[in-house]
Amino acid sequence: MFGYITVNKAEMKFREFDVYQSYYCGICRELKRKYGVCGQISLSYDMTFLAVLLTGLYEPQTLSGSCKCIVHPFENHPTRNNIFTEYAADMNILFAHYKCQDDWEDEKKFLKYVYGRLLEGKSGRLKVIYADKIRKINLLMQDFSDAEKDNSADIDTLAGLFGRVMAEVMVAKEDEWAENLRRLGFFLGKFIYLCDAYEDVEEDIRKGTPNPLKLRYSNADFEEECRTILTMMISECCREFEKLPILENVEILRNILYSGIWGRYEAVRERRLHRQT
Amino acid sequence: MYDPYSVLGISRNASEEEIKKAYKALSRRYHPDANVNNPNKAQAEEKFKEIQAAYQQIMKERTSGYSGGYGGGGYGRSASQGGSGSTGGYGGQGGSFWGFGGPFGGFGGFGGQGMDTGYEENNYIRSAGNYIRNGYYREARTTLDGMNERDRNARWYYYSAIAHSGLGNNVAALEHAKRALSLEPDNMDYRSLVRQFENGGSWYEQRQAQYGYPTSGVGNLCARWACTFMLCNMCCFGGGCCGGHGMYYY
Repeated sequence: MFGYITVNKAEMKFREFDVYQSYYCGICRELKRKYGVCGQISLSYDMTFLAVLLTGLYEPQTLSGSCKCIVHPFENHPTRNNIFTEYAADMNILFAHYKCQDDWEDEKKFLKYVYGRLLEGKSGRLKVIYADKIRKINLLMQDFSDAEKDNSADIDTLAGLFGRVMAEVMVAKEDEWAENLRRLGFFLGKFIYLCDAYEDVEEDIRKGTPNPLKLRYSNADFEEECRTILTMMISECCREFEKLPILENVEILRNILYSGIWGRYEAVRERRLHRQT
Repeated sequence: MYDPYSVLGISRNASEEEIKKAYKALSRRYHPDANVNNPNKAQAEEKFKEIQAAYQQIMKERTSGYSGGYGGGGYGRSASQGGSGSTGGYGGQGGSFWGFGGPFGGFGGFGGQGMDTGYEENNYIRSAGNYIRNGYYREARTTLDGMNERDRNARWYYYSAIAHSGLGNNVAALEHAKRALSLEPDNMDYRSLVRQFENGGSWYEQRQAQYGYPTSGVGNLCARWACTFMLCNMCCFGGGCCGGHGMYYY
């Protein structure tokens, strides 16, 4: 379920993209510092959104720097770091760990098991700092896997459980914005979960694995229906976003929420249409 | 009369950006974190709370305006003046998920209706309606789900849609609102509920038009990152956790 929350670069100013990338590189560096290379490779774009969002909301002190990395050994990349890039890095590790566990349980991917165990070792300290958050997420994940096994579960239940996990991830501190961020995260999570279901629906039908869109797939207006549902989710998310007093990098965030977030959906849809014609 | 705009020192027709700027400037000055050593910190905190409340109220009014339909902003304003709207869904009452105030901030508009229309002969339907009007969506859900299949009339679907929406189940909410309308196509309440749910999407699409829809553009962005991910994947056991999805972007 990674890699949905990204920008649409074509519609972005160069300067904005550089800022966006500097947060990405900042998180990457944070991961390496705290968790080593093993943590670094778990990096995904989703958490960059989180870091930029929280930075815009709270405007903490941010350090600018630059670094070279394995992927770009000859280029110097600007980095930005603050308490929220650190938070995003922590959440990244947490999520990667859950993802590995999930893949191991669902599909018995042994490498994922090994990697998951590695991450678990690295994330030991997180259990202390985020004890409350982790306990909540664990319970939700348990409900989630129970609900997935139960074929009668409907879209709102499954997507909602995932949404509540995202809601917890979005809230870095329990303050005056916690409720807004929870709601934002809740609908963002529902959106991502359903995008993922949309992408996998054919494969899940073939394999007989659970997918909440399965029953709708045979409907004539399946495409239309999916789009309506996804739009509904993301528009609720954006309604909450627009309430937040964010000025810094707000155009980057809007690029993600109004455009970039549809990138993967659009790619899948085009491929599917192409195949059908 | 209480005017949240004057608390932030801006005019009623200030743009969203101006509101946010004004809020930021004031909150920087009065935020408790910025007044730790201030001898008058109690006053500062009081002021901060006032600013916070004013800002939240303005934003609530403005965003409920987006949804149009149900009287939009007009409703928002009346509800905020001491809860004259009957739901007060924002308060976060025990029953709802985490205090969801309905989809667009409560359903004050329908309080009082329905009672005299003869729809609610059924006690359960009536109590579900009461729960909803008071923001107890979970209780409403339980009551509605406990009812017999054959008692599920248009009114049932209408309340069910609102309860679902209050609990964050927006897919079921839209379906049930449509169902209510298809059972009684002439009912204005049902029609406006459906419109309200659907308007959320059209508000979004209007804004979306400014940001361009991703088509081939996405490919460009990702070509480079696909390489990154591939490289990542090579060094981590052929497809580890790291954004393996990156590769799907051609």
